[in-house]
Amino acid sequence: MSERNLTFSLGCKDGLPIFVGYFPTAMAFGLVVKDLGFRLWEAVLFSMSNFAGSGQFLAASLIGSGALLVEIFISVLLINLRYTFMGAEVARRLEGGVTGIRRALLAHGTTDEVFSIALMNPDILPAKYLGGLELVSYLGWVSGTALGFLIGLILPPALQLAVGVTIYAMFSSLLAQEFRQKGAMVLLIAGISAASHSVLTLVLDVKIGWSFVISMLFASFIGSLIIREDV
Amino acid sequence: MKYFVVPILISALATFIPRALPYWASFLDKLPPLLSRMLRLLPIAALGPLVFPGVFVDFAPQYWAGFGGIAVSFILAYLKGGMILPILSSIVVTYVALLLGA
Repeated sequence: MSERNLTFSLGCKDGLPIFVGYFPTAMAFGLVVKDLGFRLWEAVLFSMSNFAGSGQFLAASLIGSGALLVEIFISVLLINLRYTFMGAEVARRLEGGVTGIRRALLAHGTTDEVFSIALMNPDILPAKYLGGLELVSYLGWVSGTALGFLIGLILPPALQLAVGVTIYAMFSSLLAQEFRQKGAMVLLIAGISAASHSVLTLVLDVKIGWSFVISMLFASFIGSLIIREDV
Repeated sequence: MKYFVVPILISALATFIPRALPYWASFLDKLPPLLSRMLRLLPIAALGPLVFPGVFVDFAPQYWAGFGGIAVSFILAYLKGGMILPILSSIVVTYVALLLGA
């Protein structure tokens, strides 16, 4: 990718694959939060203000199970900590002189996929290029959420009870994709956290949000001891 | 019907803080390798408790209805990728399982 002129429109073009990837995932999200009782504008506000795959799914799941606000805050913060390290790299490459609201907007748009695409470019990242890349990704995420919600409205009523499985189906398909990309260690780590969460909530009666935080930290700690190579 | 605005914005804040931090602070460049591996594993570690035990508890006593749903979504996502087809298929499987009284 040498000699590319990193303009706004090139950023938009580079964002198209992300748009295509985000759209169906966001539709799944819209379908899930519709089932949890959210309104259309709340679903859209959710995707606009969060713009985060797993963090949003987690928040929706915790909200649906009636977790406390502090539990939601800590769990979502933990799952999103990876953005701090991605952001550090993007910020280091960002052209100088971008401050205030423009800098905040660019920070808001930093997702896993934006990070990967942006850093394929060598050298300095102009704000316009990064802005285009993030904007197209953002539009895919937000519009997909709205469409998924609307599809949820027209599902036949007889299917409504069964629709409760969507949120779990979404996570299990995410798990399957991670498993395919990264191998058996994914199932090991997810299995440890699932077992821990089941014991804590069902046997020891720990509140769901705290149990979630403990299980997530415990399993990733065990994982980091076992797995030496980069994932 | 209750509103969800407050938890949505709490979640937004918990997303924005870790994202914005490195744009204004630069002390995060060097972390111990163990800690940085652990942070990268967090999203995977989150997936386990997001499925279990909820998928059983929600459908009790028809435990297998939920399990059948996630099994088919897992298999389809593994074989074909994507999320829409796996999720829609899981709804159908769970629906049929509930009908059959699984």
